[in-house]
Amino acid sequence: MSLLNSFRNHNNFRNILATASSLFFKRNIFLSQSLYLKEVKEVKINNQLIIEANIIPAPEEDRLLKTALNTECCAVCSLGVDIKHTDVPLLAQFVRSDGCMLPRRITGLCKIQHKRITYMVAMAQKAGLMSILTPPDSKKDPKRRPKWKKFNTYFDESTIQLPKEYKIKIKDF
Amino acid sequence: MSALGRVRQWNAFSQVWHLFDAKWQNPFQSAAVITKYLMGKHKPFYHPFANCGDVVVVINSRHIALLGDEWKKRVYFHHTGYPGGASWTLAWELHEKSPTMILEKAVYSSMKGNLQRRHTMKRLIIYPDDIIPEDIHTNISSQIKQLRKVPKVLESDEVNNFPRIFKLPVDYVPS
Ligand SMILES: [Zn+2]
Repeated sequence: MSLLNSFRNHNNFRNILATASSLFFKRNIFLSQSLYLKEVKEVKINNQLIIEANIIPAPEEDRLLKTALNTECCAVCSLGVDIKHTDVPLLAQFVRSDGCMLPRRITGLCKIQHKRITYMVAMAQKAGLMSILTPPDSKKDPKRRPKWKKFNTYFDESTIQLPKEYKIKIKDF
Repeated sequence: MSALGRVRQWNAFSQVWHLFDAKWQNPFQSAAVITKYLMGKHKPFYHPFANCGDVVVVINSRHIALLGDEWKKRVYFHHTGYPGGASWTLAWELHEKSPTMILEKAVYSSMKGNLQRRHTMKRLIIYPDDIIPEDIHTNISSQIKQLRKVPKVLESDEVNNFPRIFKLPVDYVPS
């Protein structure tokens, strides 16, 4: 295991099996950050050494819903569920570990749903339901917040206002 | 009178003690439900002159929930009667001083202002937390259903067991 690799937390990442290559090339320092996306395999067949790097399937692959592969609009539209701001395990998939939204090029959401999810994540954060997904310096316990922020608050999803150009599309949806 | 009829009459005219858990409940929406039980309007033989109201014990009034930005927008007015004696208190300031007052005021104002109102209010017992004195706890025999579901706070293992909604790019590494 290289020195540079050991400072990162591996729990969230795809499996670690990049060590074989570092031993083979006698190299312990990487110039680029290792992402553990590929598994390096060495296969010897009749004096022929084949080194192949296969992409490892993500650990969440087996929990993937069938609707996620639907290409009609986006994952949330094809899910067909009225999402509320209290559905935090669902909203948590759209945010990073510090609570900020993943961009549309990664989630693949349409503009309408991206905006809606963004507002609902903000609602869940204000209600203190997603305090484990916050920046490390933030007050995790909502009871420690100042003034009115320390009291329980709930939100109405029908108050989410989308820009005018989005509204025409929502009628079709 | 038959034995069954006698028991039925006892049940009809006995004062039932209801429990209401105000955790994550809107006090103004729950007030309408609480008043119904306080005045006895849930009974088929309700009459305003009949003393048929029940007792409602409310717990966790400290943990009520308001909609949106109501904590800093809702204002409670009070006037001492002297010149310059008017004061406006925001809902969160009032709740800091007295964790039961917002609910009590909500129930009080949800009833019609007549001579009966003060007597009906005496049947309402509010506690800021879930600690109830033993002599009141023994009387409780019924529970009023909560209007809103208490939301669950996200836990780390919940994220890893929930079905995935969308497919991440192959080369994406979560941070
Ligand atoms: Zn869509």
